[in-house]
Amino acid sequence: MNGDTKETIDIDTKAAGTAGDNGTGDLEPPVFAVRGLWKVFGPRADRVPGSAELAALSPAELRERTGCTAAVRDVGFDVRKGEVFVVMGLSGSGKSTLVRTLTRLIEPTSGSIAIDGEDVLSMDKARLRELRRHRAAMVFQHFGLLPHRTVLDNVAYGLEIQGVGKAQRRAKAAEVVAKVGLAGLEERRPGQLSGGQQQRVGLARALAVDPEVLLFDEPFSALDPLIRRDMQEEVIRLHREEGRTMVFITHDLNEALRLGDRIALMRDGRIVQLGTPEEIVGSPADDYVRDFVRDVPREQVMTVRTAMRPAADATEAESGPAVAPGATVSEAIEAVARSGGPVRVVEDGRCLGVVDHAALLAVVAGVPAQGVAA
Amino acid sequence: MSATVTTVSKAGTAAGDARTEDSGGLREAVRRRRKLLTGGGVLAALLVLGAVLLGGGGWPAGLTADISGPLDAANDWVVDNRDTHPLFLYFLLHLSNTATDAVDAVYQGLDALGWLGVTVAAVLVAWRAAGLGRRGLRAAVTALGAFAVCGVLGMWDATLLTIALMVVSVAVAALLGALIGLAAGLSDRVDRALRPVLDTMQVMPAFAYLLPFVLVFGTGTPAALFCTVIYAAPPMARLTALGLRGADPAALEASASLGASGLQRLWTARLPLARKQMLLGLNQTIMMALSMVVIAALVGAGGLGEEVYSALSTTDVGKAFTAGLPIVLIAVWLDRTTAAAGNGAGVPAPAGSWLHGGRAWALVAAAVAAAAAVRTATWPEAWTYDISTPVNKAQEWITANLTFTEVWAREFTLWVLNPLRDVLVWLPWWSVLLLVAAVAWLVGNWVSAVTATAAMAAIGVLGVWAKSLDTLSQVLAALVLTLVLGFLAGVLCARAGRLERWVRPLLDAMQTMPQFVYLIPVVALFGATRTSAIVAAVVYALPAVVRITTQGLREVDPAAVEASRSLGASTRQQLFGVQLPLARPALQLAVNQGVVLVLAVVVVGGLVGGGALGYDVIKGLSRGEMGLGMTAGIAIVCLGLVLDRVTQRTSRTPR
Amino acid sequence: MRTVRTFRTAVAVAGALGVLSLTACGAAETGKSNEAGGDKTVKLTVPSWVGAQANVAVAKHILEKELGYKVKTQQMGEVLAWDALSKGDIDGILEDWGHPKEEKQYVETKKTVVKGGDLGVTGHIGWYVPKYFADKHPDVTDWKNLNKYAEEFRTAESGDKGELLEGSPDYVTNDDAIIANLKLNLKTNYAGSEAAQITAIKKYAKEKKPFLTYWWTPQWLNAQVDMVEIKLPEYKEGCDADPKKVACAYPHTPLQKFFNADFAKEGGEAAEFLKNFKWTTEQQNEVALMIAGEKMSPEAAAEKWVKENEATWKAWLPKK
Repeated sequence: MNGDTKETIDIDTKAAGTAGDNGTGDLEPPVFAVRGLWKVFGPRADRVPGSAELAALSPAELRERTGCTAAVRDVGFDVRKGEVFVVMGLSGSGKSTLVRTLTRLIEPTSGSIAIDGEDVLSMDKARLRELRRHRAAMVFQHFGLLPHRTVLDNVAYGLEIQGVGKAQRRAKAAEVVAKVGLAGLEERRPGQLSGGQQQRVGLARALAVDPEVLLFDEPFSALDPLIRRDMQEEVIRLHREEGRTMVFITHDLNEALRLGDRIALMRDGRIVQLGTPEEIVGSPADDYVRDFVRDVPREQVMTVRTAMRPAADATEAESGPAVAPGATVSEAIEAVARSGGPVRVVEDGRCLGVVDHAALLAVVAGVPAQGVAA
Repeated sequence: MSATVTTVSKAGTAAGDARTEDSGGLREAVRRRRKLLTGGGVLAALLVLGAVLLGGGGWPAGLTADISGPLDAANDWVVDNRDTHPLFLYFLLHLSNTATDAVDAVYQGLDALGWLGVTVAAVLVAWRAAGLGRRGLRAAVTALGAFAVCGVLGMWDATLLTIALMVVSVAVAALLGALIGLAAGLSDRVDRALRPVLDTMQVMPAFAYLLPFVLVFGTGTPAALFCTVIYAAPPMARLTALGLRGADPAALEASASLGASGLQRLWTARLPLARKQMLLGLNQTIMMALSMVVIAALVGAGGLGEEVYSALSTTDVGKAFTAGLPIVLIAVWLDRTTAAAGNGAGVPAPAGSWLHGGRAWALVAAAVAAAAAVRTATWPEAWTYDISTPVNKAQEWITANLTFTEVWAREFTLWVLNPLRDVLVWLPWWSVLLLVAAVAWLVGNWVSAVTATAAMAAIGVLGVWAKSLDTLSQVLAALVLTLVLGFLAGVLCARAGRLERWVRPLLDAMQTMPQFVYLIPVVALFGATRTSAIVAAVVYALPAVVRITTQGLREVDPAAVEASRSLGASTRQQLFGVQLPLARPALQLAVNQGVVLVLAVVVVGGLVGGGALGYDVIKGLSRGEMGLGMTAGIAIVCLGLVLDRVTQRTSRTPR
Repeated sequence: MRTVRTFRTAVAVAGALGVLSLTACGAAETGKSNEAGGDKTVKLTVPSWVGAQANVAVAKHILEKELGYKVKTQQMGEVLAWDALSKGDIDGILEDWGHPKEEKQYVETKKTVVKGGDLGVTGHIGWYVPKYFADKHPDVTDWKNLNKYAEEFRTAESGDKGELLEGSPDYVTNDDAIIANLKLNLKTNYAGSEAAQITAIKKYAKEKKPFLTYWWTPQWLNAQVDMVEIKLPEYKEGCDADPKKVACAYPHTPLQKFFNADFAKEGGEAAEFLKNFKWTTEQQNEVALMIAGEKMSPEAAAEKWVKENEATWKAWLPKK
């Protein structure tokens, strides 16, 4: 990781297409920078991305013409340091393939991937192993635990592969086991644990190698709803405590909205929209997305920033209850209902605007209100 | 990486298959009927045509090619050159000397342990392998009983020799099988290439393996050892490959995602995940090796098998029982121990126990060393008991008083076997070929039809047409008996759970017995006749047929049975209207297994008056007439192929 | 994946190297045999008929009790025994009924086997019918009349032909050729072993039924069931040279002993004793009858005979 000359690829923000990358002020390169990525399964798959004609076909037509399936089509995005980047889509949308191409568990057909500015596709085997061992660890939907090992040895598995000595890796593993709330179960076998506990082992295994980025492939979709909620909170807690970058794959919109700093919504291998939860819910890019987010309780996703209007006068700007611009609409509704009048949106003591019941209702109803600041 | 791709694409096709099958049930039935009609029509036309053009009779002499001449010449060449030719000096003799030395070394080692040491070792190994504590107690008691009886019967030295042969052959077979399985498990190409080979080896009777090895190595330990290795390795290879292929893909992917190298992945994930399958493979390999080591007495293996062989060849039933009983007990001991080890895989040793892990093995070693230090030699003669005299008395009484068995055997020969054989031999040769082709095509597909017909034609070309049909008539008679009895018993077991609970352990035990053992009681009852061979075959094949039938009926969708009951169907109607039709795949599998097992014993039956091909093999072996024996051996293999293909459903043949 | 392939290649190379190193270390020892038990071990083959078992039982008893050897016995077919003798897997055959092909191959060409002299017993093979049948139909003893009586010998196994009962498959026999060449309406049926053949004969005799069997002397059963030999075309030197064209009776064979060449040279007292071993047909029958007729174990029978015939076997012991 250190000392090597990193081959930095030219990041062309415009080429990022749907990336909608607007925060390019950072000097640090993004953790993952993905551009023009394709993964096509089938005979002579590599001709598909190159041909404009084939690339334009619908999945059914492509299959008919070439016998190939394009799981990922021309995808580009950046994952910024410290964020939770969610890739969401229905089954078959290519999201699981996408996350596997990031560490080349599935070899992409074409495009480029950079981690911390270093080209992943040009890595040799040793370098790639180094990447998988130290920089990106993955949590799987079906856990992928080794049934013949104890919990502790499963958690220590990644360290064992790195060649860490037995005592040292077990000590580290014990620490991580405690962190994910499995203390006391170290000597159990995976078969003796519940689904939620097994996934905690999977999570601990990934954490134990102390990776720069955690990749989650639908980690909680095999779990019961209540346990799923617990696990989501566990992830939120871990993210809050450690600030680790995470790429999170899910088909569950609520999960995506709960966890994601930004969400990429995939359909048929393409990213149809990339943005914050608020952007996705508030301004869907097309009918597909709109359909998708229709049943979302908007007041819990949208922030008052969306609903506020400029203060009509100084009185409005200086008196009355205040909320932060990041507060959700539902929180604002509560404040409005309590005060009976408009509420100020205040940031650093400065009044950005006000929200009143009409604007809030418009958000909940999903109709455009006047004076929405984007 | 590419592994993941294949898994994904495979999962895709599997899902696709399932879908077409779902919607295609009716279409399948229609297609089958159409196939039947066209097949029948073509067959009838060809029969008429053949009758006009070719006439009747057995295989035309002009179409035969005698291979026994060249084979005899090859045998002579081997005898003349084995002391001088470089192939022997620098390769084969090394193999055979190593084999002899290894078996000798193990035998000497066991001998040095003394009877106390060996028994203690067997008991403790069984106990440890079965998971210590109370769980392992049963296996330990079985081991103790087995070895004590071997000693008491005065078979101690023969038992040790058999075990020495087993130790060496199982070690080599397991290693070989594991390596082949590893290759097949990791490479699709190897897997595709190996599968038909392993499939064919599975239907080859143990008997057919003997001669090629005698040709190369002569009789004695090396030939016995190598044919045992080759016979016993396939299950290990097959199950290792299966285990490696069936390993949880998520776990493998997880391992890759953590940056494991290929070798790391193999050692830490693939092999441990395949462990249970591999242990099952080891269990099967051990049981097959035992079966073969015993039969290999025919080529000079020595040990318990030789005792049975010499007893059978003098129809000394008492002596055969004396040697057969230890074989049965060794089989039970080995099966219990290895099966227990397999079941215990993945279950942790009792935590906190001071016998955890390696310490138990150390204890075993220490105890064995202590027992060996007592320096007991062979089993003390004073502690033996001769059962052969009472057994022989009993047998004499049976033959004197229960004459109905012999009467029955004679009537069966006169009224069933002879007519059946005569009809088969009378059938024009081309009509037999057509019949084989038609049945194979109807049951399987055109590939199986071509294979079966070619194999049948090969029998004709070898010039053993009439003898093969004689063997075939015995197989058919035994098969019909087996199926009638097996299906009846299977239906009974499936309907009466309590009966099955009683019968199950018996069937399990019967399935582990070497084929040789079954010949002993039938000789006592029926004398040396073809009927003996057939009865032995029926008894040998019955357990598998009963078990598969029971299982098939049990697994019939309970909803379908319930639905028919709700419509007021009688028990009879339920059975014939719902259960049997739905269990058809299982019943077909039962037929296939039955025929393979029956053939295996019918040819061994050459030892007790079965005649035909099996007899030729024995004659070839005991007179050193390689040509005769090999010809018969190849014909047996061909017959096995024919029988397998005409009873095998398409799904198992490679498409 | 590529690592796995590398690993596979490595395994293959290692395997090949293993085999190479095994073979490269030089020529293998050829005269390797099962040397279980050290120097003072004699390995004898036990043929499947009782007369020969009697030889071995007595020889074994004396070798073990008088000369302090350990004797290992192994049952095998006659031809296989020749091969094993050549390889040194066994040291001696005490009763051979004549195997010209093997004798030529091993004694004359390869010189790995040497003649061990006469056993003292003269053997003869032939076709026999029971005396009670021959008394009723005296002309049956001429082979020319056999077809007339073929119907009487019919059984379930032989179909519409007369049955010629045979013994074990490894016995010396020309019967199929004789039947074909003399155009007899007979069919051979192998009982599979001497014991099975004896059982069948005893049963026929009990019911006084006619039968035709391949049989031989010396045989202990001859004392219990009276049988008469069929006169086949007379044996002349060389008439059985071509196995396919045989149409004559079997010769009278002085039974022979054969030893492994090395054993004969270096076998010490054991070799000398076995060379001296020579007894009469009656003596052999006496022991054989104890084993087969009285169901004694071969060891017990040998012990009994040795106790009663000290003068005979003392002469076989090596001169000190």
